[in-house]
Amino acid sequence: MKKLGLLISVLAMLLLALSACTTVPQASTPAPGGEAATSGEAAASGEAAASGETAAAGGKLAEIKAAGKIVVGTSADYAPYESIDENGNFVGFDMDLIRAVGEKLGVEVEIVDMPFDSLIAAVQQGKIDAVIAAMQATAERDQQVDFTIPYRMTKDAFVAAGDSTLVIEQPEDAAGYRIGAQTGTVQEGWIQKNLVETGLTPADQVFSYERADQAALDVASGRIDLLLMDAEPSIALAEETGLKILLITELTAEGGKSIAIPDGATDLKAELDRIIQELIDDGTVLKIQEANGLP
Amino acid sequence: MEFFQDLVTTLNFILQGLWVTIGVTVVALTIGLLFGVVTAMLRVYGNAFLKQIATVYSVIVRAVPVIVIIFILYFVIARFVNLSPFWAGSLALGFASGAYQTEIFRGAFQSVPPGQMVAARAIGMSQMQAIQSIILPQAARLALPGWGNEATLVLKDSTLVFVVGVPEILRRAQQVSARTLEPFVAYAAALLLYLALTLLTTQILQWLERRYRLQM
Repeated sequence: MKKLGLLISVLAMLLLALSACTTVPQASTPAPGGEAATSGEAAASGEAAASGETAAAGGKLAEIKAAGKIVVGTSADYAPYESIDENGNFVGFDMDLIRAVGEKLGVEVEIVDMPFDSLIAAVQQGKIDAVIAAMQATAERDQQVDFTIPYRMTKDAFVAAGDSTLVIEQPEDAAGYRIGAQTGTVQEGWIQKNLVETGLTPADQVFSYERADQAALDVASGRIDLLLMDAEPSIALAEETGLKILLITELTAEGGKSIAIPDGATDLKAELDRIIQELIDDGTVLKIQEANGLP
Repeated sequence: MEFFQDLVTTLNFILQGLWVTIGVTVVALTIGLLFGVVTAMLRVYGNAFLKQIATVYSVIVRAVPVIVIIFILYFVIARFVNLSPFWAGSLALGFASGAYQTEIFRGAFQSVPPGQMVAARAIGMSQMQAIQSIILPQAARLALPGWGNEATLVLKDSTLVFVVGVPEILRRAQQVSARTLEPFVAYAAALLLYLALTLLTTQILQWLERRYRLQM
């Protein structure tokens, strides 16, 4: 009987905890402000504690402007997008970009380092105002948060052996050659859809690999002619394994990297979309990209 | 030689996380001590209802990974109370450690011969007075070795608070590793710091144990 009582209390507590979790999004109240934010402790600002739901009422942008700063989360372990230099400064493409955005927005930018997995939850709970972490706006993430327009399109690379004489000027030029890609990637999907289903390449000429470096070895040994993969890691990989990159293109890629903001913060999204478009148009993004050695 | 130069540079960078780690550990241990002593008292001397509550706390919290508790406390509870990541992480770690410390102190309370409580009550002390002046001092001495073990565990569990963005030693090592692509140097520096901290903690506790040992 005693055991049963304990079991029942445990279950009751679990139920309570669970119901608390599920009711939180509805029952949100803006927490009082006044939290001293020190960069070392990566404190969330008081204003940031207000939830996404209050932002939906049209206050998120005004809130950020009133606070005079935007708190942006990132996961600083993904150079050249975001990392920390030996003096403890946040550096990289995303960091330069978000500072440029902050300048246009007329507010200070406070960057907070978190594990990548915690970022979406943190922006949902209002712990941070936005996320910039080379993050792609996937359908699953889009259900949790909102995304700005992409500030950088994903690019793919066609890689061939160092002594290859192939010429690839557009993705369709790969038709008919033995081609490899990583299993389950966007690139593999593109090959299936655009080369195999259209009849340009026979299905038995397409090879799929667990990892990109395994595919690279097969390219080097001549077992396949081409490898289609993410452009950024391809540069280091090609250098390491003596391969050459024939083409870097956006045409095979889907979507790009966006800034994540709280769900329903339409005013903030409109403003950030405008600023990002401006930065792309005036060449700032290109400049930042070159400064950080990105293709 | 280059390895040692890298190690020194890395140590310098990671050292900024040292105070965070120490801060988190001290706060968590203190909170855990309060929780532990009180719930252990309830588990041993409380009435049926209080005993049940204390047992449920100890059983559930010890059954859940600490990282889950930190995450939930930060993202769910901190919505209503505006806690900084440092405090949320430290409190959550303390809340979790409290459950383990409950068991340490429960064992210690139960190791004090029951006759002492009976004797204390017989000379007119209330139960609270008896616990305070007869049982607790003896239990504290018995709990010390086990508690020292828990202290080093909490020190190492402090690596978990990074899940809410507190940049302690291990996260700083990860940042170095991501930048330099030399994980060995980065983690070797972290290892040295943790080793130093753990040895220091153990020394302090040994001194305490000697200081409060029964003199025969």
